[in-house]
Amino acid sequence: MTDTETTIGQGVTITKEGQTGAFGGEILTVNFGPHHPSTHGVLRLIVDLDGEQIKRLKPIIGYLHTGIEKQAEALRWQQAVVVTDRHDYLSPPINNLAYALAVERLMGVDVPPRAKVLRVIMSELTRLSSHLVWLGTSGIELGAMTVLMYCFRERDTILDMNEEISGFRMHTSYIRPGGVMADATPRFLELLDDFINKMPGHVDEYEDMLTMNPIWRSRTMGIGILPPEDAKVLGATGPMLRGSGVAWDLRKTMPYSGYETYDFDVATSDMCDCYGRYLVRIKEMREAVRILRQALDRLPDGPVNVDDRKILPPPREELETSMEAVIHHFKLFTEGYSVPAGDVYVAVESGRGENGCYVVSDGTHKPRRVKFRAASFVNLQPLERMAMNHMIADMIAIIGTADTVLGDVDR
Amino acid sequence: MIPDTLVVEKGVSAGDAWITVAPANAREALSALRDDGYRLLVFLTCVDHLADSSRQWPARYEVVYQLRNMETLEQLRVRAYVDGDPPQIDSVHDLFPPANWDERETFDMFGIEFTGHPELTRILMPDDWVGHPLRRDYPVGGEVVEFSEEHETWQTAPEKA
Repeated sequence: MTDTETTIGQGVTITKEGQTGAFGGEILTVNFGPHHPSTHGVLRLIVDLDGEQIKRLKPIIGYLHTGIEKQAEALRWQQAVVVTDRHDYLSPPINNLAYALAVERLMGVDVPPRAKVLRVIMSELTRLSSHLVWLGTSGIELGAMTVLMYCFRERDTILDMNEEISGFRMHTSYIRPGGVMADATPRFLELLDDFINKMPGHVDEYEDMLTMNPIWRSRTMGIGILPPEDAKVLGATGPMLRGSGVAWDLRKTMPYSGYETYDFDVATSDMCDCYGRYLVRIKEMREAVRILRQALDRLPDGPVNVDDRKILPPPREELETSMEAVIHHFKLFTEGYSVPAGDVYVAVESGRGENGCYVVSDGTHKPRRVKFRAASFVNLQPLERMAMNHMIADMIAIIGTADTVLGDVDR
Repeated sequence: MIPDTLVVEKGVSAGDAWITVAPANAREALSALRDDGYRLLVFLTCVDHLADSSRQWPARYEVVYQLRNMETLEQLRVRAYVDGDPPQIDSVHDLFPPANWDERETFDMFGIEFTGHPELTRILMPDDWVGHPLRRDYPVGGEVVEFSEEHETWQTAPEKA
């Protein structure tokens, strides 16, 4: 801290009053948020402004801290799935998947092929719905009002599918250790087929509205430059990293749940700016549809859960005829299962980047520690570097294309 | 290459390679690993082994660094066991930029002091928060609900909370 600064808590210093900027005016410290429509939740920023130029930017987070990691420690292994839904609330099944894969690896369980394909289907649907929310809200922030209506139309179809397969529209808790919650219904597969056929046309519609739109281009091109070397060192993942031209996608580089068997391209852009990140997300939507088509075509028959009564409850009809089934059911719902002691880290690619789950077991029926490696938390740190010397209005574009979900940042 | 003298123990847990280093050597070991190609710190966190009987633990707190080499796709977990009040370990924020916020979070949640960190303050909890919520002896549901009647008494008389 220099003598021109003063501290305001949470590790944040601001410029003292009376400092003169490059244009002869006074440097002004402005509080931005936490309740501002363009902060995607409750992000608070302390911004030093010289005229309209950003000279310093400090994010203050924690307004949406819900103690999810602490709650997970108090729940049994199968109950903790529910809290994984809620940190990155725009991509619940992908968070479920990270947790489920971690617990399965500790227990040495491998799920049946149908469950793997259903997991891929749900992950890609979630990626689409997450990108649709991003595209719609970013459009609104930068003055393109119409695109939100189109994006939420398709997102609603995805939520309908979530409801059909799991009973919930948002927090599905669909992917669980040992498999998935329930098999896909015929109606779900019909809806999915219809959706896959229509979606490429819808992505064309979004592109018609934005890609060559002069306002959109001037608001995003050259704004928020993040060079690839910086992006790598700062730990940025997902479209933030791929928008800087680094072809890093966990689905390709460290595949999980059978992603290595799907034919898809990693979307990258060498523009390193907000427009590049937009192009990456648009391309990812198209690739997600490709993966969905392959997954639907290959969806094998068979069970969707491991045949292990120690992990998953017996089918309802067995409870009436089998004593062992009743015992297993009782044990599972009163005590839960225990997981061998050890720790494991599993990373999956969510719409925002690497969402990982670090799970530590002490051999009991509750986790010792569940740590969520949140992509938004890490992707928010380069914000100051990207926004430096830009206008304050451009900061909105930069926050928007960083696509942070504050529930994920604060957990 | 990391010198063997720094490694206390090594092994594989559920497919993940890990090494243990002495807390005093953690910074030196991580610096060597970084030069070795492990350029990305995926996350940094802590595990509280209070009353954990699954094995004999060298100390109560285990600081965990997950490293990744993005060229060779190798991953390595580095563990350092720290004790003391407050538990202390050297900061690595200058070696790995993402560690800056991770260390603040670990300090906030576990009370681990990262010596050399430029602004080691609470990041998720409010500045005036008492205690470190992710410690195992911090009860779930122990906090006072804000804007409730208890909260008003707690604000005026914090020693009774």
